[in-house]
Amino acid sequence: MTKLKKILKIYKPFTKAGLQSAMAYRTNFTFFVIGESLYCFVLYFIWKAVFASGGSNTFMGFSITDITVYVFLSNIVKFLIDTDSTVSMAEEIKDGSIIMRMIKPVNIDHSLLTFELGNKIMMIFCIFLPVMLGLEIYRYVILGKIAFNIFSFLLFSLSVVLGYLLSFYLNLIFGYLAFFLLNIWGFSILKGAILNFLSGATIPLAFFPGAVRAVLEQLPFASLVYAPTMIYMGKLSTNQILFTLLKQIIWLIVFVLISDFIWIKAQKRLEVQGG
Amino acid sequence: MIKVENVKKDFKKVVKDQGVKGSIKSLFNRKYEIVHAVDDISFNVDKGEILGFIGANGAGKSTTIKMLTGILTPTEGNVEINGKIPTKNRKEYVKEIGVVFGQRTQLWWDLPLVETFSVLKEIYNVDDDAFKKRMCFLNEVLELDAFIKSPVRTLSLGQRMRADLAASMIHSPKVLFLDEPTIGLDVAVKNNIRQAITQINEQEDTTIILTTHDLNDIETLCQRIVMIDKGKLIYDGTLANMKGQFGNFREVNMSLENSDEIDKLNFLDTFKLKKKDISINKTKEKVSISFNQDKLSIADMLEYLLKNTNIKDISVNDVNIEEIVCRMYGKEVSVND
Repeated sequence: MTKLKKILKIYKPFTKAGLQSAMAYRTNFTFFVIGESLYCFVLYFIWKAVFASGGSNTFMGFSITDITVYVFLSNIVKFLIDTDSTVSMAEEIKDGSIIMRMIKPVNIDHSLLTFELGNKIMMIFCIFLPVMLGLEIYRYVILGKIAFNIFSFLLFSLSVVLGYLLSFYLNLIFGYLAFFLLNIWGFSILKGAILNFLSGATIPLAFFPGAVRAVLEQLPFASLVYAPTMIYMGKLSTNQILFTLLKQIIWLIVFVLISDFIWIKAQKRLEVQGG
Repeated sequence: MIKVENVKKDFKKVVKDQGVKGSIKSLFNRKYEIVHAVDDISFNVDKGEILGFIGANGAGKSTTIKMLTGILTPTEGNVEINGKIPTKNRKEYVKEIGVVFGQRTQLWWDLPLVETFSVLKEIYNVDDDAFKKRMCFLNEVLELDAFIKSPVRTLSLGQRMRADLAASMIHSPKVLFLDEPTIGLDVAVKNNIRQAITQINEQEDTTIILTTHDLNDIETLCQRIVMIDKGKLIYDGTLANMKGQFGNFREVNMSLENSDEIDKLNFLDTFKLKKKDISINKTKEKVSISFNQDKLSIADMLEYLLKNTNIKDISVNDVNIEEIVCRMYGKEVSVND
């Protein structure tokens, strides 16, 4: 326990600094939010058109209200679990500034992670909570009753945290590729596209044909966006929720181990470019 | 305090032919070349010593510093600092050292400077009293007060370097590695930084390894220097010794009626000199000759010049350390001599 306290004490300033950095670039942040909201509305109108042309009120168990909540919620989750770890790590390897991290008595991954948490705290207060409130009001207006369930919300929060950690380590592993490739721009674009598709951020995985869906749901990508969103929407039974959380934990452990392994290997290969 | 034994560091480098064709070729058939960035270097540093580590660009200075600080793993050989091996248990090791890479910064770019210090305080687990005392001391020697509340990105290079130096010492490290701490600074700031380094070394008996291209740094700070070239150690000893060993050179500067007159003279045969004992630099207006005064006395030199050329103006100067080093870099002086 005291050890944990000590660790928290060491990394707390990183989170604080991350928060301050995020606030230093408020304008950037605001424009980011505006851009992403526009994207959500575009998705919303596309789905509306799809439902209108289909003539049916539900599609694969999703009503138009469900899909609206899904679009906004999954995109919120996408921001929450989104991480810069690929780019930060790759950049630091490329320009050699990773050495400034290595001369400090901290873990490389923990310091990156806790710094980013600062950014996430700002995101939770400035985007997440307002949008959640908006969604609940929307659901209340459409359904005529309060659909909010504190229990689902807590499980959802847990699932998002796991999803974020998983996303962080997954992306960090991509970042470490820079040790071997030195420039990973192309890779990270490809990775982004794949993640968006397989994580359910673009289309709910429930819309895929049975066999494909069964496979996709087991992959780690589903744990990123699809899993927490479905939990919040109450689309899963208690057993399914527990199974989903278990999957997230297992994948998280796998990715942490892989990333530690690569870091140990990569450190030996480190060639600091320039300076 | 610091023991470096037969340390080597090899890098693998992809060899590419020139142009697009070469790039495509190397996609399919990669050829590697092993570069010996550091080649069998050994030296020791005692507690409280300031060691000047010098060498030309690409000589392997920074690579060596990076091995000493635990960033790079040596291909071969041992490094031991304060009884610890840097690459083993990096996190424990770096608590005892402070590092400044002059071309990079360890400060938090977007935050006020003072925030960086409080972050470092937590990272190194410095207690409040010690931290207060430390900041007082650093403020005094490095004059941080004026800009301690400004965001780091707004600092001038000189301010940033002073801040970086302070940041590397917040935890009272036993060993300090300064890689080009005066790069790009004006004379006043350089002096300030040198004073700070001296003061810290004297008051806390900190062992310091310093790399620099500014030989004034070396002259004011270091009792001892280690020089490397192309990854190999070529000199290890005191500055005075080096001057004695390589530097008994004098320089004659003169303007002649016609600079070409100098071409007619034959120093080598007249005084039985070897090529390395003398070098002549001729421009339209000026001729400068530097020569080893152990082999040829100044009097003889002047007499010979006066007799054989029409001199308008002449002066004799000491050769400064920069030229000695240039000479060594240029390989005009052979070390095995």
